[in-house]
Amino acid sequence: MKILVLNCGSSSVKFQVIETSLEMIQANKDSAIAKGSVERIGMSDSRLSLEVPGRKTYQEISEILEHRTAVERILKVLVHPTQGVLGKVEEIEAVGHRMVHGGEKFASSVLVNPEVEEMIEECVVLAPLHNPHNLRGLRAAQALLSGVPHVAVFDTAFHQSMPPKAFLYGLPYELYTRHKIRRYGFHGTSHRFVAIHTARLLKRNLEDTRIVTCHLGNGCSMAAVKQGHSIDTTMGFTPLEGLLMGTRTGDMDPAVLPWVMAMEELTLAQLNAMLNKHSGLYGLSGVSSDMREIQKACSDGNRRAKIAFDIFCYRITKYIGAYAAAMGGVDAVTFTGGIGENSAEVREQTLAGLGFLGIELDAEKNRNLPRGEEVIITTPASRVAVAVVPTNEERVIARDTVRVLGGVMPSFAVPDNEAPR
Amino acid sequence: MSERELQHIGVIGGGMMGRSIATKVSQAGLQVVVREISSERAEEVKARLAAALDHQIERWALTQSEKKATLSRIEFTADLDKAASCEVVIETIHEDFEAKRALLAELDALLDPSIPVIVNTSTLSITELAQGLAHPERIVGMHFLYPVTTTRVVEVVRGQVTANEAFELARKFARILGKVPIEEFESPGFVTTRVMLPLVNEAIQVVMEGVATAAEVDLCMKLGYDFRLGPLEWADRIGLHKVHNWLDHLFQETGDPKFRPCPLLRKLVRAGHNGARWGQGFFKYDEERNRLDRPPDDTPQLG
Repeated sequence: MKILVLNCGSSSVKFQVIETSLEMIQANKDSAIAKGSVERIGMSDSRLSLEVPGRKTYQEISEILEHRTAVERILKVLVHPTQGVLGKVEEIEAVGHRMVHGGEKFASSVLVNPEVEEMIEECVVLAPLHNPHNLRGLRAAQALLSGVPHVAVFDTAFHQSMPPKAFLYGLPYELYTRHKIRRYGFHGTSHRFVAIHTARLLKRNLEDTRIVTCHLGNGCSMAAVKQGHSIDTTMGFTPLEGLLMGTRTGDMDPAVLPWVMAMEELTLAQLNAMLNKHSGLYGLSGVSSDMREIQKACSDGNRRAKIAFDIFCYRITKYIGAYAAAMGGVDAVTFTGGIGENSAEVREQTLAGLGFLGIELDAEKNRNLPRGEEVIITTPASRVAVAVVPTNEERVIARDTVRVLGGVMPSFAVPDNEAPR
Repeated sequence: MSERELQHIGVIGGGMMGRSIATKVSQAGLQVVVREISSERAEEVKARLAAALDHQIERWALTQSEKKATLSRIEFTADLDKAASCEVVIETIHEDFEAKRALLAELDALLDPSIPVIVNTSTLSITELAQGLAHPERIVGMHFLYPVTTTRVVEVVRGQVTANEAFELARKFARILGKVPIEEFESPGFVTTRVMLPLVNEAIQVVMEGVATAAEVDLCMKLGYDFRLGPLEWADRIGLHKVHNWLDHLFQETGDPKFRPCPLLRKLVRAGHNGARWGQGFFKYDEERNRLDRPPDDTPQLG
């Protein structure tokens, strides 16, 4: 069956059409037949692009003022007689939607109905920058494809298996009960996908493995995946916590914040922008938020770039140790995301001191990866395997859509992991 | 009409307020045309607006790419006709009755009657400004507070003949900018200016009488009532000549002596000590308008 996957941001809609079925998923044969995006929604020069394997990328520029029009144009181009990939819109049998925040309400992907929609609405307060746009896209698609089921897949759902000792902060308990302040974690679809594929690569049952997954992209997070469940993750209430990122601080002493606000006379908006957009690799190096630029600056002898690079790797190293301890050992460490898949230098420096854990990197394999493939980059003698697995969140969304419709979607919730309300 | 899409906004006048409004409108994702009286002035306004964005970047409020995106949505021009293609036009020229009236007459002749014209004023009468236009019902008052990029409130003002459609569109526009619109009926000084000015005037009176120094008056109000700025530093940053003009106007309009500008304020204005931009008002400032003579007690305290 053909699934349309939609990922709606504030001014963009990314989409893929994926040919899939329960059997194809089992055989790892599900694949995208088209993908593309609409950028600059709300402008007079919005750009729609469509990539179909084996064809030249198609682009059109026109005024697209809202998400509904964007989805309309996407459907139109998909059935275009020469550029399209579908004979008619009815070939789309279901739509899978990426949702950033499912709060504590969603520990699984779900079929959207009015009740679910209301629950997603209630999560808006937790992700005011993302959920409203996700919802807008969902509603547009529902209006235009009213005859097919819509499935919501949440970034946070996979981490709902974390125990209270991992998800609660050391704050007054009322902040949890009143405002649901806790660790949620993000990139859940990615961590789940690469954990499953790592187990497969190791030819082991996911249920018998302890895997540390490192999603290093624009945003960076790690998860401790024990027996297929996320038991801890680095991102927290928002995607700011944990690892150093392109422009985000990651972990820091929260007492710095009131201090800086007072000394620099900052508003809340300025403080938020400082932490999310002016920090991380960019803020430390003053060079760039892009790891490729940082590495180039490092080789040119830029000392601040080197410090930024070192901090980036050091944090990952620390969390590998922490998560190995949290899981009582570790069988594999997996890298994914733009940096995780493409920076041999980051992987090498991160793993350099981890021989004591039983990690023995194959330097040659690490440096000469076949692009886009799932590979193990440790030596056969290494007690802990290190894998590189390209992530594919759209594919997970399509897979979950099929599973939800087939009634075989598992919940990630585990018994007894709730905190008292 | 309030269902109409708002995509293009005309801003007539590139002064401090006009630039601040243009920046905020662009940051809300709308297209802006800023019109100045000559192309040289338009270029200068562009440079100043860009410099203000740079300052925000230094203060971590904005990134380079956000600056680029903000500028990409603003067109600077000397051509008033460009305003005709906008869904709403805001005038932000200086607070002078005759100048504003002349501009409104020009806009009234140029624009389709369905396009509301927003007058940005803190003390002038919308009704009087609209009088004699072919379409006085399109005139709405909007009192933005500086800096427009951060203040959360805007006063939306109905004149005697303002049409509901125009008013509702102005209110919708305020929400698009992320601001809380307060609906008000026309009255000199509206709410913010009318309530603030007597406070400032009284603070100046207290200094003149020698009850306390300017720094002490500000410190009292700041620490006592949790004001972000003391009333005298607030006046310095607005510009004392402006504060004086507003008071004078309200005094003439209402005849109420509480608005009579304090003689000390007149003195400072006559001496050209107009406030932060001039380096001197009630306090001293450096070229970047940082206050120089702040007493140690007037610094942030933790705990």
